[in-house]
Formats: sequence, C-alpha cells, structure tokens
Amino acid sequence: MSAYILRRLVSAIAVMAMVGAFVFLLLRLAPGDPAAIIAGRNATAEIIANIREQLGLNAPLPVQFIHWVRQMLGGDFGISIFSGRPVLELISQRLEPTISLAILTMMFSVSVGVSFGVVAAWRSGRLVDRLLAAFSALGYSVPVFVVGYFLVYFLAIRTHWLPVQGYVQINQGLGLWFVHLILPTLALSLGFIAFIARVTRASMLEVISEDYIRTAAAKGASSYSILFHHALKNAGVPILTVIGISFAYLIGGVVLTETVFNIPGIGRLVVDAINNRDYPIIQSVLILTSGLYVLINLAVDLAYSLIDPRIRY
Amino acid sequence: MTITRREIIKAGLAAGTALSMPTILRAQTPDDARTVRWVASNVFVFDPIISVTAGYHAYQIYDTLFALDSKGMPQPQMVGKWSLSEDKKTYTFQLREGLTFHDGSPVTAADCVASIRRWSQVDSGGKLIMAIVKDISKENEKTFTITLNEPLPLLIPLLASSGGYYLAIMREKDATLPPTEQVTANIGSGPFKFNNALANPGVSFTYDRNEQYIPRQEPADGYAGGKVAKVDRVVWRVISDQQTAVAALQAGEVDFLATPPSDLYPLIESDPNLALENVNESGRVMFVSMNFLQSPFDNAKARQAMLHLIDQEAIMLAAGFNPKYFRPVKSIFGNSTPYSNDENTGWYKKGGDPEKAKQLFQEAGYTDEKVVILQSTDWPTASKAAEYLAFTLRKIGVNAELAPSDWGGVAKRRANKGPIEDGGWNIYVNDWTDAELDNPISVPLFRANGADAFFGWPKNDQYEVLRAKWVKIETLQERKALAREMQSLAWDFVSNVMLGQYFEPIARRKSLTGLVHFHAAYWPMWNMQKASA
Repeated sequence: MSAYILRRLVSAIAVMAMVGAFVFLLLRLAPGDPAAIIAGRNATAEIIANIREQLGLNAPLPVQFIHWVRQMLGGDFGISIFSGRPVLELISQRLEPTISLAILTMMFSVSVGVSFGVVAAWRSGRLVDRLLAAFSALGYSVPVFVVGYFLVYFLAIRTHWLPVQGYVQINQGLGLWFVHLILPTLALSLGFIAFIARVTRASMLEVISEDYIRTAAAKGASSYSILFHHALKNAGVPILTVIGISFAYLIGGVVLTETVFNIPGIGRLVVDAINNRDYPIIQSVLILTSGLYVLINLAVDLAYSLIDPRIRY
Repeated sequence: MTITRREIIKAGLAAGTALSMPTILRAQTPDDARTVRWVASNVFVFDPIISVTAGYHAYQIYDTLFALDSKGMPQPQMVGKWSLSEDKKTYTFQLREGLTFHDGSPVTAADCVASIRRWSQVDSGGKLIMAIVKDISKENEKTFTITLNEPLPLLIPLLASSGGYYLAIMREKDATLPPTEQVTANIGSGPFKFNNALANPGVSFTYDRNEQYIPRQEPADGYAGGKVAKVDRVVWRVISDQQTAVAALQAGEVDFLATPPSDLYPLIESDPNLALENVNESGRVMFVSMNFLQSPFDNAKARQAMLHLIDQEAIMLAAGFNPKYFRPVKSIFGNSTPYSNDENTGWYKKGGDPEKAKQLFQEAGYTDEKVVILQSTDWPTASKAAEYLAFTLRKIGVNAELAPSDWGGVAKRRANKGPIEDGGWNIYVNDWTDAELDNPISVPLFRANGADAFFGWPKNDQYEVLRAKWVKIETLQERKALAREMQSLAWDFVSNVMLGQYFEPIARRKSLTGLVHFHAAYWPMWNMQKASA
C-alpha cells in the first residue's frame, strides 16, 4: 500500500506542476493588465507604464516564468500585486472559513442525504420515495443564491434569529462561529443532500435485492439492522466516491454561497484576484487546490479498503 | 425510551436561546455605539500616490496641508500660517503645533517637503509646480518654503486638490520611496489610525480613532475644518453582493453603505430605520471618449455627430440611474464647478437629434466601417450605457459592435492606438468626479495634446494654447472667461461626449448622523456619530 500512496503523492506533484504552468500561461495570454487596474480608471498611460515596469510585467514571458518557478521551488508563493501582502498569508486567512463551511456542509449533507437515500430505497415506489424524489429534483434545480436569499429574508431579516452575513473565527467563540455558518450551510447543503440521496438510493436498491439481505430478513434481523448494518456498508463505495468529490469541490471554494453570505473563503479570494489580475494569488490557489483534490481523492481511495475488505492496493 | 412533553418544551427553549444568540451578543457588545460598521468597496492599494483608488482609504489616515471646503475653496489644514513674498514667488508655510504621526513621531517640515516631491512626480498639478520651482526646502522643524521661478496663482489650490493624486503627508522615510513603490506602512497623521493587525484584504479593514490628533477649531466644512473623530472605531467591511449588503443594513449588522444599488433605493426609502443621503454633492460625470486616431472619429464631423446623437436622459435611464439622481451635463467643466458655462451648447437637445447625427456621419464620409465600443461588463452602469449607445448608433445606420470584457480588459485595450484589426477601438465609456472638472491643468481629461492626451488622444493646438494660459491667470473672473473660450473650441472639435451627471447617495441607518458633505470623491469618517442602539 505504501508504494501505492507514494505513487499517488508523486502524481499529485506532477498535477500541481502542470496546473501551475498552464495557469501561468493562460493568465499572461488573457486580456487585462494589473497595472491599469491598480492605477485606476482615470490614470494616464504614463502612470500605468511606470507601475507595469515596477511590477516586472514588462519582462519577457520566459523570464517571468523562470523567476516564478524558482520562487515556487524555494517555497515562496510570492507577494500579492495589489495588497503587497504575502500570498500564503492571504490564503491562510481564507482557509478557515472555507474548511469550516465544507466540513459543516458535508456533515449535514451526508447525515441527511444518506438517511433520505436509505429510506427512499427501503420504501421504493411508495409515497415517501416519491416525496424524496421530488425533494431531490428541487434540491438539484433551485440555485443556491435563490435558497440563500430566501433563508436570509425569513430567518435573518424578518425574525432576526440568525445573522444575514459574515464569518466569525472559531477562536472568537464557538457559538458565534456556528450561528454565522447555519444559513450558508443550509443553502449549500440542499444540492448536496439531493445528490447524495439519489446516489445512496440507487446503490441501496442494487444491494437490497441481493440474496444475503433476504437471508438476513429470513433470520429475523430488524429493518434497521438490515438497512444500516448489512446493506449500507456494501452500498458504501459509490456513496463514498460522491462524498469525496463533493468535499474536494467545497474545499476549492463555493463562490456563490460565499458571495451571498459574505463568507471570506477561498472562492472569493480567487474571484477577486481574477478580477484584479492578481497573478500570484490565482496561481498559488489553483496549485494548492489541485494538490488538495489529488490528496482528497487518495484519502477516498484508501477509505474504500476500510469499508470493503476485498479492495486491496 | 419515552420523551415527555416537559422535555420537549425544555429542548425547544434551549434551541430558541441558541438561535437568538447573535442578537443577544450584539446587544451586549459594550462599545457598539462607538463603532461604526461601514461597507465600501475593497481596498486593494494603500498608497494614494500609487493609485487614486487608494484615496478612499488614505484620506482617513493621512492629513493634508490644505483642504477644500464645501464650496471647493482651499483652506489651511495642517498648515497653521502661510505667507507669500511680495514678488509672489516664495511661499512660506508653518505647520500647526502638536501634529504627530501615528507612530508618535512629530510631523516636521522635512516630511512635508519629501511628500510634496513624491506627489509631484505623479500628479499633473505637482508636475506643473516642479516645472517652475526653484527650491523646496525646510527652514526649521516646522517651517518650509516653496520658491518658484515665476508666480503661480494656482499653487495653493493645487496643494489642496482632492482630485486625482492628492497630497497626503507621509513620514519622510515613506515619502522618499519611488512613486512606483507602494507605501504599506499606513502611518499618517490624520484623525484615524489604520489597524494593521486587523487588516484582512478583501474582507475588512479597521480604523481606530487617533487620540493624539488635534483637530482645527473651525467646524467641519467639506474636507476642511475640524476633523473630529467622534467614534472609537470604524470597521470597513467588504460585502461584494449588493443585495446582501442592503440586507445587512436592514438587519442592523452594518451602519453605512457607500454605494447601494439604485434599484434598491425604494426598498431603503421604505424602511423606517434607513435613509438615503447624498453626501457627495457634486456626483460624477459619465462620458464617452472617442479615438481620434482611427476612422471614423479621426474626422471632427463624426465626433460632432456623436454630440448630436446622444440623448442624455435616455442613456442615463438605460444605464440604470434613478431619475432623481441624474441630470444632463452641457459643460466640459461639469455642473458643480465655478467654471461650468453654456458656451457653444447649441448641440444640446432633449431627446437628441438622430437625423442631424446621421447627416454629420455622411458628411464625415462614413462608409459602414465597424465602430467598436469597449464594454466593461463588471461595471453595470457603463456596460448598459455602452449597449444603449450601440443600439442608438445602429438605428442611424452605423455598424456598431460591442467588445465586452471586464474592466481589466477594457483598461488594457483602451491603450491600443492601432486600427481595429490590430485590437484597437473607437469608443469607450468612462466617468470622472464632477468637482474635479475645475482644473484643466491637473485633470488629464482636459488635455488635447495628441499623444500625451488621455485615452482617445484628442488634438487641438489652438485649445492647448488657451489651456496653457490657465496657470498664469490670477482672478476667478478671468478664469471663468477663459473657461468659456476653451469650451467654445472644445465643443467644435469634440474631445469627449457627456452622457450625464449622476449622484450616488449613501445608505445609512438613521442612528448614524453627522456625515460630512463634500464635493469630491472620498467619504470622510470624521464628524459622524452614532446613537446608542
């Protein structure tokens, strides 16, 4: 297994290097000029040219690329063109909100989504199954910003139960941290619950028609035991895959949710950086998130062997 | 296991308490009435000499030698006394007593001299001063002089100007950095101190009251007068979604919203706790620049056609401005400056004159070539104005084509002087602070010196001769007369076409009062106060 893990880690580095090179070139070839944005709408061409020179943007592309690669190999992610702050500092400020939102969303979505999926499979074709199917269709099709504004209106503006927006760091109080994340978690979870519920239902339907399930029922096992101990464990591999993909997606930043609830996460950091052409931030975030993607997928692959002993690496 | 009714009630009460926690915690914050939560756009550059956009942040922490009052007149601010020699060439400035930087060091004449030198490398007004300066030097710790080779009646207004690159007084060690290297220490001598430890770019910035600041005794008047910080802290939050920002204002999570979207004005006006207030009384002027180097606008007739074509009211409505908050502009000097006038404005007609425009395009020899309009899609009003302009041009047979991109793309492309085939352009929409249109020397928009002019590169030698006279004139009346002469020419060769003047009221909770009104771009944090919740 260790050889497998090593291979995957090496592939992660290769993926990060390819993403880095691709993003570097793409950004430089895309229209836009950070110097012009820094200088402002009413700056003259002379001022813009001076700033461009200062930022080193006039150097030939290969020279800029080599300089950047050297920086990265030395573990230096560079300085934000705009704020003048180290990119790693800016990213670390944004990691906590993103990870907090991702973990809460996954905890809520998995517990509700899997339960819904199991119940839907158990009561396949009946009213509960149909209601859950309708809920899933709704969860897929309603955009997160619609759900978000709806929740804000009823749970924040009308009732003042929850805050409209913002994020409070966990070290400023667990209660405040949690209440600021309730609405974004609910808004974001709707789609994931629907997704996980449908995959769980499909996977469970395959399993509960197996002979060993019938045997367990014949031996007098309870419905709970059959569903959650015998069936769910064997239906777990595709569900785990979906959870892994969803978590990796969430770690990459969920721009719409972060925007609607003013959560200062990774997604907004990247969008702001793209609008400003803040190259060091965009490059660094994309490289790091690509690495995270690979690592999360690796963790999911390793988890397969825990729920299914037949899988070996 | 059985659950009793009593246990259900207990659980319900516990859940209710947990859900209402934010409200309870907000009410218990001890300094809530001394903290203003302020929503404005992100601060991404901190040095006002690097970018004019830094002014919104910098105006709170860096003080100025002079400042413009609410009538646009320069008044001493950091300067206590000043005098002019008999030959009108030497200015002597003495700083007020007790001025200190936020790091505790005193403000000295050397700091002022270094700041003036740095500012004058980027600002057109500063460059003008340096072009005729003989010496700028400190006399003693609190006194410095500016000696010129010839009189410059505009010197004090140029030092006081809040438009463009304003003269922020920094520590000498910061001000000796090249103007292209950003000062990020954020240490000024103004009424608010930047809290570097709490700065979170893209999220929030915190400004604390400078307890050492000694305000002038006069009442606040525009950017002049006493800058009294009446709150302990201002937390500047960045909320990128406007709908969310307004919701936060309604819920009492923030007190001030710098630029609420105009489509939500009715919602704000209907809320008994909220108010719209037009603090920037001069607003901004939206205009169209045309490329003098490329056909068809290399021909004056085609540019005149644009002047006749534009229906200012229709285009401002199409751009999404509220009719209560815009008005037409007929003067190159805007609406709110002393030089605004009606010289040679016969072209203005409510509803525009498309027939006349069509005829002028024909006289210009227009033959269906493509007219590319740069459209900044991340600037909604300018984007919609560009769309409407394209629609209007197509209606009179002009082959208008939109080139959409974000502002970053427009900013890069507008610098391209080449033909359309090589990525050039014909028209783009921009705006300018109306109050700044009082200064044809510092504001690049007034230039018509070809390659050195603003994007579009207008050229008219006769106009440039008149513009050069501006700095020599001593009296307001003479400058007003010159303004008329300049405008008469300007509306003949047509460097830009005005779309309208617009105002952006701020939205505030009614508990926040005392906001300073002004005629420029930056919202001052001083003087405002907040009633207890």
